[in-house]
Amino acid sequence: MALSATLPPHLREEAQRIEGVARGFGLDFFPVVFEMLDAKDVNAIAAYGGFPVRYPSWRFGMDFERLEKGRTFGLSKIYELVINNDPTYAYLVRTNSDMEQKLVMAHVFGHADFFRNNMWFQPTERNMLDQMANHGTRLRRLVDEHGQDKLDVFLDRCLSLDNLVDPFLPLAEHLQRKKQPLESRTLVERARAQLDAFLAPPRGAVPGTPGAAPAAAPTGAMRPARTLPTYDVLGFLLERAPLEPWQREVLRVVRSEAYYFMPQRMTKIMNEGWASFWHSRILTSGVLGADEIVDFADCHSGATAAAGGQLNPYKLGIELFRCAEERGYDLLRLRRAHNDASFIDELVDESFAAKNQLFVYGRNARTGRTEVLDRDWREIKEKLLQDLSWGGLPQIELVEDDHEGRGELLLIHRHDGRDLQLAHAGETLKNLARLWQRPVHLLTLEEGQGRKLTCDGHAIRSSDASVPGEKKSEAS
Amino acid sequence: MFRIDRDRSRFREIVRGRLRQDLRRYLSTSELLGRRGEHAVSIPVPQIELPRFHFGENKKGGVGQGSGDKGDPVSGEPKEGDGAGAAGEHEGQHILEVEVELEELAEMLGRELELPDIQPRGDKQLESEGGRFTGIRSAGPKSLRHFRRTFKNALRRTIAAGEWDPAEPRVVPVADDERFRMQKSCPLPDSSAVIFHVMDVSGSMGREQKDIVRIKAFWIDTWLRSQYKNLEVVYIVHDAVAKVVDQDSFFHLRESGGTKISSAYELVLQLILDKYRPEDWNIYPFHYSDGDNWSARDTERCVHLLRDEILPRVNQFCYGQVKSAYGSGQFKKDLDQALEGQERLVTCAINDRDGIPEAIRSFLGKGR
Repeated sequence: MALSATLPPHLREEAQRIEGVARGFGLDFFPVVFEMLDAKDVNAIAAYGGFPVRYPSWRFGMDFERLEKGRTFGLSKIYELVINNDPTYAYLVRTNSDMEQKLVMAHVFGHADFFRNNMWFQPTERNMLDQMANHGTRLRRLVDEHGQDKLDVFLDRCLSLDNLVDPFLPLAEHLQRKKQPLESRTLVERARAQLDAFLAPPRGAVPGTPGAAPAAAPTGAMRPARTLPTYDVLGFLLERAPLEPWQREVLRVVRSEAYYFMPQRMTKIMNEGWASFWHSRILTSGVLGADEIVDFADCHSGATAAAGGQLNPYKLGIELFRCAEERGYDLLRLRRAHNDASFIDELVDESFAAKNQLFVYGRNARTGRTEVLDRDWREIKEKLLQDLSWGGLPQIELVEDDHEGRGELLLIHRHDGRDLQLAHAGETLKNLARLWQRPVHLLTLEEGQGRKLTCDGHAIRSSDASVPGEKKSEAS
Repeated sequence: MFRIDRDRSRFREIVRGRLRQDLRRYLSTSELLGRRGEHAVSIPVPQIELPRFHFGENKKGGVGQGSGDKGDPVSGEPKEGDGAGAAGEHEGQHILEVEVELEELAEMLGRELELPDIQPRGDKQLESEGGRFTGIRSAGPKSLRHFRRTFKNALRRTIAAGEWDPAEPRVVPVADDERFRMQKSCPLPDSSAVIFHVMDVSGSMGREQKDIVRIKAFWIDTWLRSQYKNLEVVYIVHDAVAKVVDQDSFFHLRESGGTKISSAYELVLQLILDKYRPEDWNIYPFHYSDGDNWSARDTERCVHLLRDEILPRVNQFCYGQVKSAYGSGQFKKDLDQALEGQERLVTCAINDRDGIPEAIRSFLGKGR
């Protein structure tokens, strides 16, 4: 693939200069590799979630179609792409001006530092480029064996469930592993841990079948959940669902990638805020010439504008870091220890909310308009925290694998005031039931009324149910 | 980028699959009209979304940033999912436009309505990419060497070089002199077709009736375009008099007044005689009306024009009668009665939009 697109010499020099300035400020990152590509190729890579080597799927083609339409009609433009990897890869768009390239490079160093140091990224695979290439190779091989259509159907089914993961599981296990020093383990345990991290043999696969071949990623070394209740539904299925070896392989790939991307979901505001904070600081510390400052300011304010009353993660993030700096926090420590939710919990208060003109909005049922509902900072903070907790996803827990003694799954949506989109939930359950090959149930609330969705893989039934939660209907 | 192209074409394949499934719906709505470019139609498809667990509409809201008091509407109402951190969850609501080649759309139409390919009319051939050796070039196989041209060049060169000796007129060609025959394709006008869309725009043809005509015309054009390399479309409107108009006015013009159908038929005939001679053109007149004619005498004149002048010259004449609140629908009855057994005449009644696919089939189903 025509990917070797090195920077022209003058930009390479700039990159070195910016890297020096960044390190001077205490930023610390893996080596950063810049590659310069045409906008179309950058869109292609963006469609693959940053990984040109990813497995084939029509969904990436769809994303690409959308990005390309946006680009050709001048509606949207990608400035840069950076992926969490060691070394950290960043893709620049060839058509950017030199000033924009400098801005983007400084921004990239901010992200690269965040990837390397933020706690939530510690358990992520740092060799993801190779990992993704492996996944791609494996899935392509499965396409050859089973046909594209068959694979697509199963892959879509798995992807439909890819947010049924436990965002806190990787870090918890990571800390667990750290707590147990190597020396205290027996030789066998130590060897196994290392081997596991390397090979992660599929659990539940029969030795000798193709699926039992050394396969999964070091992220897959994360043990699939064996005990209920669990939020790691994918892990549970990986271990327990009656799947063919090749299906297990697909599911493993989907799960491992879902966990890889999860920290980015949980730290979007921080990550963008951090990168914006530093590109601004670095570029105005002598990197930009006097003739570039006005263009820079224009570009920067465009990226961090709070237009149309909407919350812009770049804007909120950079303001949070600026506020933290004013208040005398150690920024490097903050960026290490927090995710979006805890960061906001730490910093948002009355003065921050007022200064940044934050408000809570909602739909006014009477007028049908979206209106400003409240400017009380406590309300604002609560709403923000609710939106950001659990990676912005509904919290759905698997509580029983033998519901009413029939080998059926029972999941409970931990309701926090926000209902599920029930039609989609039904369709999603259908995919779950097809993987489990037995009926599955989901307890949730609809406008305060308990509701139980049941799906046997074909039809979806909905019935009234007692309110789930508060441990009432959990597994005995 | 090689890989993304594969994934992209796979996505487009899926879209085409959906389009095929939904073709019936497109057949009776005006959704695709106005989306046609020279060679392709851009079709809006909702992004195909994978179902996932996500939050619904209730208590939807979030935190925004900007001015405004309690109760003020949020300027540029926040998009769903733009509550902090939740962005990206609702991508499924975007609409994507995907381009489909006209050729392909016609193929789908053909399959859906089981339309036969058009058979050659008489002894004429539709395929006309005739290859004849009418060109000349300076390289080629010996078997195609053009002796006369080659000799002429050699002679010219010999004279120019002053070596020409009338006493000993020997000319020896060298490589530079050689000329060879070359195949040249010359399209014949056989595969040209002309469509006459003739519409009654008298007072009784309302908006809905015109929409139906419009949709039909779109699909007919699409189909015939796939059958002929060179298609011309002539738009004619008539009330008591007929005139040729451009496409835009054809669909938007609203006249009022009486209806004299013969005026339109005369105009069609005139055009056929002047410009679109049957020897060179495949001719398809389509006439749409609500079936009210000025007088029985005019109808008689129409029958006469059709039987003696128009029908012998065209591939097929189609009359589509769109039902309207005011039309009597008499004209179709009259035609059917007077011209029974005329193979080249197809009449059909269209009651509403749902009747469009059937009408298209009856017009194009004969493969004429």
